Order: sequence, then structure tokens, then C-alpha cells
Amino acid sequence: MQTTIIKPVLGVYTALFLLFLYGPFVVLGILSFQIGPNGGPQFPIIEWSTYWYQHVFGLTPPSRIAPLPIYEGLARSLTLAFMTMIVSTVLGVVSAQAFRTKFKGSDVVFYLIVLGMMVPGVLVGLGLALVANSIGIDRTWWSTAFVLHVVYTFPFAFLVMLAIFNRFDPSVEEASWSLGVSPIKTFRKVTFPLIFPGVLSAMLFAFTLSYDEFSRTLFASGRDLTLPLAIYGTFSIEIHPNIFAFGVLTTLFSFALLAAYAILMTVSLRRAKRLAIQEDA
Amino acid sequence: MTIATPVPDSSDTTPVGPVARPSRAAYWLIAPGAIWMTLFLVVPLGMMVYVSFWSQTTFKIEPILTTKSWMAFFSSDTYLSALWTTIRIWLLVLLTTFVVGYPTALFVGLFVKNKTLATALLVLCVIPFWTSFLIRVLAWRPMLGKEGAINIILQAFHITREPIEALLFTELSVIIGMTQIYCVFMVGPIAFMLGRIDPNVIEAARDLGASFWRIFRTIILPLSMPGVIVGGIFVSVMVLGEFATAAALSGRKVNMLGNIIVTQVGSLKWAFAAVVGVILTILMGLVVAGFLRIVDLKREL
Amino acid sequence: MTDVLRIENLGKSYGSNAALRGVTLAVADNEYVSLLGPSGSGKTVLLRLIAGFEQPDMGRILFDGKDIASVPAHERGIGFVFQNFALFPHLSVYDNISFGLVNRVNAPVTDGSALRSRVMEMVELVGLIGLEDRGVHQISGGQRQRVALARTLVSQPRIVLLDEPLGALDANLRTRMRGEIRRIRSQLGVTFLHVTGSETEALAMGDRIVVLDNGSVGQIDTPDTVYNSPVSPNVARYLNCYNLFSGTIGGGTFSDGAHSFPLSGTPKPNASPAYAIRQDLITVRPSNSPLASGEAGFAATYLASEYTGAAFMYFFRAVDGHIVEVENHLSHRAPQTLDVNATYQLVWKADDALVYG
Repeated sequence: MQTTIIKPVLGVYTALFLLFLYGPFVVLGILSFQIGPNGGPQFPIIEWSTYWYQHVFGLTPPSRIAPLPIYEGLARSLTLAFMTMIVSTVLGVVSAQAFRTKFKGSDVVFYLIVLGMMVPGVLVGLGLALVANSIGIDRTWWSTAFVLHVVYTFPFAFLVMLAIFNRFDPSVEEASWSLGVSPIKTFRKVTFPLIFPGVLSAMLFAFTLSYDEFSRTLFASGRDLTLPLAIYGTFSIEIHPNIFAFGVLTTLFSFALLAAYAILMTVSLRRAKRLAIQEDA
Repeated sequence: MTIATPVPDSSDTTPVGPVARPSRAAYWLIAPGAIWMTLFLVVPLGMMVYVSFWSQTTFKIEPILTTKSWMAFFSSDTYLSALWTTIRIWLLVLLTTFVVGYPTALFVGLFVKNKTLATALLVLCVIPFWTSFLIRVLAWRPMLGKEGAINIILQAFHITREPIEALLFTELSVIIGMTQIYCVFMVGPIAFMLGRIDPNVIEAARDLGASFWRIFRTIILPLSMPGVIVGGIFVSVMVLGEFATAAALSGRKVNMLGNIIVTQVGSLKWAFAAVVGVILTILMGLVVAGFLRIVDLKREL
Repeated sequence: MTDVLRIENLGKSYGSNAALRGVTLAVADNEYVSLLGPSGSGKTVLLRLIAGFEQPDMGRILFDGKDIASVPAHERGIGFVFQNFALFPHLSVYDNISFGLVNRVNAPVTDGSALRSRVMEMVELVGLIGLEDRGVHQISGGQRQRVALARTLVSQPRIVLLDEPLGALDANLRTRMRGEIRRIRSQLGVTFLHVTGSETEALAMGDRIVVLDNGSVGQIDTPDTVYNSPVSPNVARYLNCYNLFSGTIGGGTFSDGAHSFPLSGTPKPNASPAYAIRQDLITVRPSNSPLASGEAGFAATYLASEYTGAAFMYFFRAVDGHIVEVENHLSHRAPQTLDVNATYQLVWKADDALVYG
């Protein structure tokens, strides 16, 4: 039948597609092993070495290549991402819970929230910078950039929780009420344990989005830079393979994060039995 | 004695009006999110519109309303061409991400029967994203340059004799880069919608003798439309707001509206940056509204 | 008054769809009331209104004489057993049963040993000894049913609402659980209001049956009264054992164009004329057999039969196409051999029929 031709063709296509996706990363990986400090971020590889990895960690003798201004930026990005994750997830859960009943203006509020993920970073960053200027407050990563990060990630957390609640069977909550348990306690002891895997997903989403966030932060961050801004700062100056070594390291870090998330998920899924959250057939 | 009609009794039988619904709690729950978005999204955008009408001199800016900045934009070829560049790149990248992404989505969403394998493939598509966006953009340079990876491979296989110069620092390089970075946002939603198609429907169509192209045209493509729309919205939003990829890959030759905003802010030309910002917002609003007319998204969630 | 629950003129609509149009009934203490109605008759809505999960558009609910319209669900003290059991999937059987006692607002049980003894007493009553520490997905459907019951009953509510509690069980289990539920209830002396779409279940479980007809009460009576004397054609239809004809009444006869049946007695009041004869009260005679006085009947063609173990169900078609069912209980008479498409005479005593008009 036709499927016997189409399926393998599509399979090959998908393999090529993945190659396309990974191409730059592979190149990046290869070039990170370029010899330094004279090797540049382009082919050919003059000689293989781990020079740039050492350079990232400050372990190489001083050269004309300035070390990447990453440590403070990294600390700030992690803190910012963590703060954003907490606030966005709380807002997302609470707002999705509100949407379980029909209330007046729910359509408007829905689009208001989703707007946050739609508006490009340059615009909202510009707008907030203007507001900050005119009311005379400084732009910092923990105030102006922070609020924008939440504006960006809260809609994602919200949509994830909306989808979770859509599939949630409310009869367990009603059962709890009928036993005399207050709605708040019901949420704590029945609803939340069962939606927890969704909450974890929302948290991961929010953290990831905030950590790599760049365009919003560009205008809203003030003098102390987050990690992506620090990297951007090196753009206009010469680029060296240390940035590629750094990229490989951060990717590995993300892998580790995902592994941690997968473990947390499996543990919490085993406890939150799928009776209350219907699965797609 | 059977009772077939309501028992008449002495107490009040007039209908009681609807009791206050407990959704008052909903208003308290939605308040924090709604307030946050209003304060930190709506107000900044409003401010941007307001400032676009301020008077801007080289050194300072005053809240005296004027349309000077607006006219400066529309009377300048550079800026108008930035507008057309933005639209052109947006359309091209939208098309390329769709064309490049759809077959993969088809494979992962429809043909891969094993759910775990499908999820694994999707995760594989997402992994490249964990390298910082900026670094990924940078990685394209050594790929596309004259001595870049692609040229090396092409020449090694004797497909070309001379390095292709047009691969880097042109609009083409920007398009290639953006396609690679954003096509996953097409694959995801489309694969999701395709995965929700009941295989029995396709089976039934095959039993009735329909060819694959027929099935594709009449069943698969229409059912995947919400995913295409969502993907289209994601990609459009990201491309329209882009400036980093354009800057890094075109050597400042390609100017999108985003680039203009960044440079204007760099020179503290706030009013003018605001004008460009408003124009970009209107463009985006039109694009998203256009997409949403095709499919009602709230239902699909 | 000894009524635990009184419902007065309760109404509820969803948009333009009126699920309940003025339901009035009363449930006495220590009574078992079953509520029968086909799907869409509003029976689940009624239970949800009583429990407080939704608010009525009109009418009153009086619990122990007090209007509970403004009382939230978790303060009503009304137990609820769900069709899908709604067990807490992340808790064990023991924790499910003790959940209400531990977490409720009014007088939560804090003493560990008092709690344990109450819960274990209930576990024993419902027959789940040895399963207390299992997860709820490690037990069978019937056992889950018992957990749902135990969980509600352990708080000693004055009344328990059951929403098609046996609907999720397979047929065999259903029949066995019927007896179990009645036993548990009478041992505790709790009032039950049990909603079902199955007429056999309603007849078997309740001291009284309420038949819901299109959003309001069709009949409230003891099971045998409802079974033998349904008060309207609709109620007769829900019992699933009557043949119904609609037509006109005149001159001591009921006629529907193709048939006419002599009337005996006065018709029960109803909006439109109808004639009902129970399926097991019809006998099959050879065609053209004469009708004795006091008998009614008509000719029909035999179509097919269905064997249900204790009885045969014969399907006939009348001249006007109307399908008629005759139930032949094998304890009454032996099975008859009938020829397909042959004509027979269906006969019954005119007194056995119910006439409405």
C-alpha cells in the first residue's frame, strides 16, 4: 500500500530534519575543541584541545582573550529564573483554578493573559523602560526584568494548568465536600496532589523560559547583566571558541536539569494515580 | 393513594430566585494574574503608544504631543524598507518552517504508533533549545561562511567547486537561521493535533478506497489546521519580534523593525523607538487576529 | 415532622433546557427511597442540588425542617456516593475511609485510637477486612463500591444520596451488591435516596419509588403499587413491561384506528387517552379464536422470540405495524411453538388492562 512507501520516506526525512536541527550544535561542539588562544571560531580545526573549556573556568594563563563575564550573570540568571518560576507557577495555578467556573469577563482575561506570551520582548521591554524612566525608577534585573519575565512565563504556566484542569474529574473534590471537608482543605489534600505533575511541568517551563530570556531583559535589566545579556555583550567584540565551550557546558547542564525533572515526575506520577486525571485513549 | 401532582402545602411556593453563585471566589483567584498583566504589560504598551507622540530632540524628550516621529518614519526609505523586510522575512520563514516542519510532524504525530517513541522524538527536537539561543545563532556562522562546514562538505563531495558566498551575511542566511531555530514550534503543535486524529477514521477512509493524497487533503490536513494555526502564531510572533538572528547572521545588512528599535534605544531616541514599536504591535495584532479568525483556539484546548 | 428531607417545587434549567420542572417529594427517617427515571429525566441533577454541588433556579430544600439553600455543600452533612465512586486515587483504602473524619470542619476526629476503631468497624461492616492498606486501584470494582459506601457512612450522615451506584459494575456483581447495600443500610438505620435508570433496580431496592417523568414527579408509591398500577402512560413506559396504545375513548371502548378494546372501570386521569396491558398478562391463542365476554384482544403476526432463562419474550406485529411484546413466564405455562409470520390472536382480560384518559 502507499503507506509502505510513505512511512520510510517520511522517516528518512525526519532523520534529515533532526540533522538540520542539530547541525549548528554539532559544529559548535566540534569547534569548542579548537586550540587556543589563537584558534578562531571557524574551520579548520588547527588542533584539538580542551583549551577553551579551561578558559571558561579561568584555568588558563592570561591571554588577550578576556574571560567570559559569566559568573555573576549566571548567578543572576539562576536566581531570576527561580523567582520567576515560583511567581509564574503560583499565578498560573490560581488563575487556572479561577477559570474552572464561568465568570463575567473570563474571555477578556483569557486573552489578556495569553497576550503576555504573544507580545515580542522588544516591545514590552521598550514599554517598561519608558515607564521606568518616566516615573524615575532604575531598571534592575530583580525588579523591572523580573516583572517582565513573569509576564512572559505566566501565560505558559497558565495554559499548562488549564489543560490539566480540563482533564481533571471534579467528582473527587465534590466527594471531599460531601464528607464535610472545606474547599480550601480539599484543594490542599485532594486537588493539589493530583495536579502536581502539571505543576511541575509548569515550573520547568517557566524556569527554562526565564533562564534563556533575552529580548525582554535587554531593555529592562539595567546595569547588572543576566547571562544572555552578558553573552550578547560579547557579540560585537570578537567571538572566540570559549563561547562554544560555554554553550556545550550549559547544554549538558540542561540535560542534567531534565534528568532531575524526569525523576521527580516519575516519582510524583506514581503517587498521583491516573484515576482522577483521565488519559487520552 | 398515589400522588401524581405536587403536594400543596401552607408554606411559600413562589419560585426562589437564583442563589448567589460561589464563583465570587473566582474573582479573588483571577485578580492577582489580571492585575499583574495589566500593570506590567498593558501599561507599558500604552506608554509606548503615548511616547511615540512625544517631541524628541537630540538630547532630550518631552511629553509635548507631536506627530513628528511618525512622519519621520513614513518619510524615510530606510525605515519603510525595514518594514517591508520584516514582512518579507516573516512570510518566508512562516512558509519555510511550515514546509520543513510539516512532514516531520506528519511522521511523528501520525506514523509513529508507539507513544513513547513519539515523545522521545519530540524531546529530541527540543534538546537543541537548551543551548542558549544566542549561542545557537552564533553557531551558524562557522556553518555558513566561505570556509564554513556546509561549504567544506559540499566541496568534499564535489557538489560545488567554489564556496557559495551567498550563504552568510545575506538575507538567505537569516532565513536559514530562523527556520532552523523556529521550525520546532511548527512541528510541536501540528504533531499534537495529528496525534489526536482517531486512526479508525483513516482506516475507514482507506477501506472505502481513498488514496493517500485524498485522505491527506480531506482528512489529515483539515484536522491538523488548529496545530498549523498555533504553530503559525508562535513562529510569526517570534519572527516579527526578531533582531538578534538578523544582526548576527547578516552582518547588519538586514534590518528588521526589531533591529531599528534596538539601535534607536541605543541612541536614546525613545520617541522614535516607540513609533517603530507601535507599528510592530499593529502588524503583530493584524497577523494574530488573522490567524485566530481561521480557527477558534479556546475550543481546541 | 419526621421527614429528613423535603423538596418543594425544585426547578433547574441549563440554558433553554429545563432539567427539573418543579419536583416535590419527602423522604422519611430510616427510609430507602429509589428514584427512577430514564436518562435526561433530571435525576442526577436532583441529587446534586440536594448535595449542594449546584444551586436550584426555584424551589426549596428542607433538611430536618431547615432551608439549606444558603448552606455550602461541605456544611450540609449529606452523604453522596458517586457512580464512578470518586475514590481518592492517591490514598489507601483506610485513608479514603478516614478522610472525612480527619479533615472535616465540624468535629474532626483527632484521637488516633478512636479514629482507628471507628474506621475498622466500618471496614468490617462493609466486608473489606484485610484490604485497608491497599491502594484503590488494587481492588476490584465491587470492593471500590464498598469503599465509597464506607467512606460516606463512617461520618454517620442523616441521609445518603446514591447516584447510580451500581451503574459501573457488571450485571452479576450488580445483583449481589443490591443485597449488600440493603443489608448495610438497615444495619445502620441511615436514610438512603438512590437514583437509578434501571426499573428492576428501583423496584428491588426501595421501600418507596419516586418515578421522575420529564423533570417532575410522575408517581410516588410502594414498588408493587407502581408496578401494578402505574398512574400514567409515561410511568408505565419507564417500567418497561407494558404494551402501550394511544387513541380515543368513546362509548365504553378504547379505539386506536386499528383496534378497539372494551373498557371496564373508569379511566385514570391523563392528558391524552392511552391503553396499557402488561406483557405477562397476554395469552397467545390460535388466530380467529373467539373472545369470551370480559376479554379483549386483536390479531397480530408473530415475528420472533427471545429466551431469557425464566421466560420467553414473544414479539408480534399488529396490523398497523405496532410492535407488541408478550412475556411467557415458564412457571405460568409451557413455551409455545409459534410459526414466524403466522397470525395469532392475542387475548387478555379487560379488567387487567389500565386505561387513561
